[in-house]
Amino acid sequence: MKRVALSIDELRKAVLRLPEGALTAIRAAALANLDEHGLPTVRHEDWKYTNLDAAIDISNRWLSAGATLASKDSLGESIEAIISSVDANWLVIANGQVDMTYFAETRGIEVVRFSESAAPFVMDRPLADLNAALLHDGLRIRIDAATEKPLGLLVIDESNAGAAVSQASVEIVVGPGCDAEIIEHQSSAGKDDHYGNSVVALQVGQAAMVNYVRIQDRHIGHVQTGRLSVSMGKDSRLKMASYDLGGRLVRNDIDIELGEPGSEITFDGLYLVSDGQHIDNHTRVDHRVGPASSSQEYRGILNGRCRAVWNGKAIVHKGADGTDANQANHNLLLSDNAEIDAKPELEIYADDVKCSHGTTVGQLDESALYYLRTRGLDKRQATQLLTHAFAADLIGRAPVAAAVDAIQSLVEARLADLLQEPAS
Amino acid sequence: MLEINNLKSRIGDTEILRGLSLTINAGEVHAIMGPNGSGKSTLAQVIAGHSDYVVTGGEVNYMGNDLLDLEPEERAREGIFLGFQYPVEIPGVNNAYLLKAAVNAKRKHQGLDEVDAFEFLKCAREKMAALGMDSKFLNRGVNEGFSGGEKKRNEILQMAMLEPRLAILDETDSGLDIDALKAVATGVNNLRAADRAIVLVTHYQRLLDYIEPDFVHVLSEGKIVRSGDKTLALKLEEKGYDWVREAASA
Ligand SMILES: Nc1ncnc2c1ncn2[C@@H]1O[C@H](COP(=O)(O)OP(=O)(O)O)[C@@H](O)[C@H]1O
Ligand SMILES: [Mg+2]
Repeated sequence: MKRVALSIDELRKAVLRLPEGALTAIRAAALANLDEHGLPTVRHEDWKYTNLDAAIDISNRWLSAGATLASKDSLGESIEAIISSVDANWLVIANGQVDMTYFAETRGIEVVRFSESAAPFVMDRPLADLNAALLHDGLRIRIDAATEKPLGLLVIDESNAGAAVSQASVEIVVGPGCDAEIIEHQSSAGKDDHYGNSVVALQVGQAAMVNYVRIQDRHIGHVQTGRLSVSMGKDSRLKMASYDLGGRLVRNDIDIELGEPGSEITFDGLYLVSDGQHIDNHTRVDHRVGPASSSQEYRGILNGRCRAVWNGKAIVHKGADGTDANQANHNLLLSDNAEIDAKPELEIYADDVKCSHGTTVGQLDESALYYLRTRGLDKRQATQLLTHAFAADLIGRAPVAAAVDAIQSLVEARLADLLQEPAS
Repeated sequence: MLEINNLKSRIGDTEILRGLSLTINAGEVHAIMGPNGSGKSTLAQVIAGHSDYVVTGGEVNYMGNDLLDLEPEERAREGIFLGFQYPVEIPGVNNAYLLKAAVNAKRKHQGLDEVDAFEFLKCAREKMAALGMDSKFLNRGVNEGFSGGEKKRNEILQMAMLEPRLAILDETDSGLDIDALKAVATGVNNLRAADRAIVLVTHYQRLLDYIEPDFVHVLSEGKIVRSGDKTLALKLEEKGYDWVREAASA
C-alpha cells in the first residue's frame, strides 16, 4: 500500500491562520513536535493493526481545501436531538468549537475555556500534538460538588464539504471526596468524510467517586482517534463503560494511572462492528502502588467484512503489592469475514498480586439457537435474541442511570442494523 | 396425527434409529420407554428437527404432510412441542420474553394478533402457580441457574402456554421429587384433549402412576420392540429391560 504522509507545510499554514490568543504558543510547540516525530505508523508495536492512512488522507484533503472549520450553527437540530434524550447538563464541542449555550451554570462545576486561559498542556504523543496544533478551543472543567444532573460532554461534527477535520480537548478535574457523573457522547451529522481527534484528561481526586459513560456513534464516513488519560487519587473510585457503535476507523486509547493506594476502577466496553468498520480499543493500566484494583471487560459483536482490535495492557510496577488486576474480552463473530485481534498483556514486577485475564472468540451457541427455534422463533429472531443477550449485560453496567435508556435504544437500533447484514 | 414409518437416523457415523415405526392419533397418550442409549431422545429430536441427527431412511408424516421437510420453527408453529431432557440455559434472554415471543410466533402463523401483554402475564402467572413455580422465574434468564426440577417445570410452563397439538416430553420426570412430579403430571393431564396427542418419554414407570398412557412402547437399539397398554409398563418394572432385549432377539 502506498504510504501517505501528513502534509506538514499545509498544516503549518493552517495553524498560522488560526486566531491569535492564549493557544498560539502551544500550537507552535505542538507543531514542532509533530514535525519531528510524525504520526504513528503500523511499524509501531501499538499501532500494528491500525493504519492511520485514512486519517491522513482526510486531513490532507481538508488542508489543501483551505482547512476551514465549518460553522457550528447548522448543528442545532442534531445537538437538540441528542441532548434531549439524556437529562444532563451539556457542554458541547461542535465542529471543533465550544458551544456553552446548552450549559446551565451550576454550583459545584467550574468551566474555563482554553481560548481564555490555556494552562500548560501535556503533549507527549503525536496525536496529542496534532490536537494541540489545530486546537480552536477546549474545556477545562472542575467539579467540586455533586450536582443534580450528570455533566454531559457532546462532541459532534458535521461534514458536508468533502472532507473535514476537527479537534476536541477536555480536561476534567474531580475534587477530593466529590461524586461525579459524566456522560461523553461523540457523534456525527452530515455524510462526508471527517476526521475527529480528541484528547480527554480526567483527574479523580482523593476519595472521589466518578461514574463515566462514553458513547460513540459516529457515521460511517468518520475516522476517529481519541485518548482518555485518567489519573486516580488515593482511595478514589471510577466506574466507566464505553459504547462504540459507529465510525469507519476508530482508535481509542485509554490510559489509567494508579499512582496512589486504595483506588478502584472498573471500565467496560461494548463495540458493535459491521461492514466497512475497524474499531481498535487499546487500554493500559499502570498499577504503580498497591493496594489497588482494576477490572475491565470488553465485548464485541462483529458482522460482515470488518475488523476489531482489543489490546488490554496492565502493568504492575515494582512495589505495587496488593494489586488486583482483571481483564476480559469476549467476541461474537457472526461472519467469516469478520476479524478480531484480541490481546491481553500483563506485565508484573511486584510480588503480592492477583491478576487474571481471559479472551474468547466465538459464534452463537448452536444449542441455544436450536432451542429457541423449537419454540417457534425463526433463525433471524433467535440470532437477534442471542446477540442482544450478549450485549445486554454491558448495557446493564452503564454506571450513569440518566444515560441508560439512551444507550439501550442506540445499541438496539445499531444491533438491528448490524444483523441486517447478510450472514456469510 | 403422526405416522413414523421405518425411520432410520444417525448422528455422526453412528446409526441410532434403525427402522422405527409408530403411529400416534389425536387424543392419545403414548409412553415410550427403554434403556439408556436406546434412542428415545434421538427420536424426540428428530421429530423436533435437530439438524445434527441425519435421517437416512423412512418417513415421518405429520397432519398429512412430510414433517422432515420443515424447519424446527415451522414444526413448532404447526403445534409440535418438545420438552427437552436437558433444557438449554440461555443467560440474558428473559424467560417471559421468550414465552411471549413463542406464543406470538405461533399466533402469527395462525393469522392471529399478538397476545395482549396484560392477559399474557396473567395467564402465565396462573399456570406458574398451578405448577408450583414462583412468578419471579419470569424475570430470570431462560433456565439460567435453574435447578433440574425448575428447568423441567419451565418446560411444562412453555408447553402449557403454547398448547401444542403434539407434545413430546423427554424424561420430564427424571430428577423430580414427588411434589414436582405431581405438579408436572397435573400440568400434562390438564392438557389431555381429544385434538391433542402426548408422548411421554421416560426411563421409569413412576410417571405413569400419575399420567395414565393409552399405549406403552419399548424402544431398544433404535427400534420399537414391543407395544402394549399400560400393563406393559408394570411388567417392565417387574422384569427389567433385559426381558425386552431377550424378547426382541428371540
Ligand atoms: N451428540 C451425539 N453424538 C454421538 N452419539 C450420540 C449423540 N447423542 C446421542 N448419541 C448416542 O446415541 C445413542 C442414543 O442416544 P439417546 O437417543 O440419547 O438415547 P436415550 O435417550 O434413549 O437414552 C446413544 O448410544 C448415545 O451415546
Ligand atoms: Mg434420553
